[in-house]
Amino acid sequence: MSQVLIVGYGNPLRRDDGLGWRAAEALSQSLPFPEIDFVICHQLAPELADNLRSTDFVFFIDAAHEGQPGELSCEPLTLQPGIIRSHQLSPAHLLTLAQQLYGATPRAFTVSMCGEYFDHGATLSATVEAALPKLTALVENLTRQLIARPSCRV
Amino acid sequence: MEQRRTIVIDPVTRIEGHSKITLHLDDQGRVEDARFHVTQFRGFEKFCEGRPFSEMPSLMARICGICPVSHLIASAKACDALLAVRIPPTADKLRRIFGLAQVVQSHALSLFHLSSPDLLLGMDADPAQSNLVGVLEKSPALARDGIGLRKFGQQIIERLGGKRIHPAWVVPGGVSEPLSAENRDAILGSVPEALAIALRTIEWFKGTIERFREEIATFGNFPTLFMGIVKKDGGLTFYDGDIRITDASGKIVADGLDPTRYFDYIGEKVESWSYLKSAYYKPKGFPDGIYRVGPLARMNVADRCGTLRADQELAEFHELQRTAVLSSFHYHHARLIEILYCIERMEQLLTHPEILDKHVRAIARPNALEGVGVAEAPRGTLFHHYKIDEQGLIRWANLIIATGQNNLAMNRSVLQVAKHFVHGDRLTPGALNRVEAVIRAYDPCLSCSTHALGQMALRIQLLSPNGEVLDEVVRS
Repeated sequence: MSQVLIVGYGNPLRRDDGLGWRAAEALSQSLPFPEIDFVICHQLAPELADNLRSTDFVFFIDAAHEGQPGELSCEPLTLQPGIIRSHQLSPAHLLTLAQQLYGATPRAFTVSMCGEYFDHGATLSATVEAALPKLTALVENLTRQLIARPSCRV
Repeated sequence: MEQRRTIVIDPVTRIEGHSKITLHLDDQGRVEDARFHVTQFRGFEKFCEGRPFSEMPSLMARICGICPVSHLIASAKACDALLAVRIPPTADKLRRIFGLAQVVQSHALSLFHLSSPDLLLGMDADPAQSNLVGVLEKSPALARDGIGLRKFGQQIIERLGGKRIHPAWVVPGGVSEPLSAENRDAILGSVPEALAIALRTIEWFKGTIERFREEIATFGNFPTLFMGIVKKDGGLTFYDGDIRITDASGKIVADGLDPTRYFDYIGEKVESWSYLKSAYYKPKGFPDGIYRVGPLARMNVADRCGTLRADQELAEFHELQRTAVLSSFHYHHARLIEILYCIERMEQLLTHPEILDKHVRAIARPNALEGVGVAEAPRGTLFHHYKIDEQGLIRWANLIIATGQNNLAMNRSVLQVAKHFVHGDRLTPGALNRVEAVIRAYDPCLSCSTHALGQMALRIQLLSPNGEVLDEVVRS
């Protein structure tokens, strides 16, 4: 069985920026399997590289700023060498860091949904609230398929 | 208008927060003055007014994403004083563990993520390489250790507080949940690896410092006072104790000072060029009352750590200088000893027979209208002082943060480094990095420390493209 890591990140006090948290929380309820681990955080820090070394697949769920509100995107990630900052990394930088530190090469995907409002508040916009089930359904379906595969880690 | 030639370093990199440094040159191009300007502004003391006191720990934790636990603890202690309760012994121990884990992760961030590029690659390294990538390429093992140690601290915070950043587990009267056996065992299981990392990092660090003789001699290497809380027996503590102040010779200047009476002996001065106030020891006045807090100060004021390996390292540390250890470069060394102490001390506390006790919170209504909470944060002594009304609403709050207490020393340190390494009106990459590195040695947290709402003069300058001052508005 493969291991899957689902990372939901953003600021839940900046409305739609918190959609990654909401999605990851919902997925942790619908995917209660030991092969799946969840991380919910404000931003991607270098320590997360350690989580990537023990997984086969990783989803990074975040809000996007550009596009139509509620628009869903899922893209595979590739390594991205460059300056690695201590407080905040992009998913690609984090993937690169895990590879450099531990030789970890999980297959990674960014799953993003375009937000509408990013002002102060703990609630999602109506548009994102309505569209979020599309995102969680996509990640849930992919995850169910992926955990059935044999692990490719050495 | 007087024209002064200045060199501006903006922003200062690899520190917590936003700041700039100006170096003022004389006619011969020699540095004659230097200032460390904190350019970001916060206002927590003001906007917490009117909030219920019970919200204060969670509200104050939002001051900082690096050391929220320190603010939680100091704030909760101030609230304990408002309730006039003695918290259950197990809650006391759990809070201590929480704080120690915070120190480990914060010190690891400072040393491994922010300063290790300087220490590993050298002060004259190519700035493009002087970052985590450079560390990764030169020493992946060191980078892994940094990540491992920081994760160790964060996971303890997460296991105790429910989340890594802004946990709300510490509450007035104790903590909200007892420790489970599962979490205790998991934390204890991670101690040996953390201890091994701490020990080999100290050995690595001691092996590198010979390369930094010039920096040790010039990085804030001057006499000041040192301040920190110590136990009744003079031992190191991060949670509870009395204030001790020592001088540059190592002599105790004041001991057994009541930390809740900080206003009797600590003054704060506002400067027009920074949002960060400058604290000083009142009996010596400003600026002669300059003092330092944080790891270097704690290692100077404490007689012992109280754990085996940390005490061995402290003894060696005290041999660096016959007097107090003065160079701020040694903040790094002190930080490592504290990491070691924190891991050892957490193991002691976690194996205490009462650590799983379920009684972890004292419940009471407010019984006092004023309370002060004091703890040692990673960067130094932290004071939270609140006044409430009969309804329990905050009417006044004052915070004194470690970084403000180091402000005078940081400014003087920048000047010392700049005078030694900066020549002419151009900054070489090595000189620039050293000016920044001396600030990094203090590990200032500027988000934490700028709270002077309503007291800070505001200066706005309108500059022409060639830098000429066209207009200036000053609001005091």
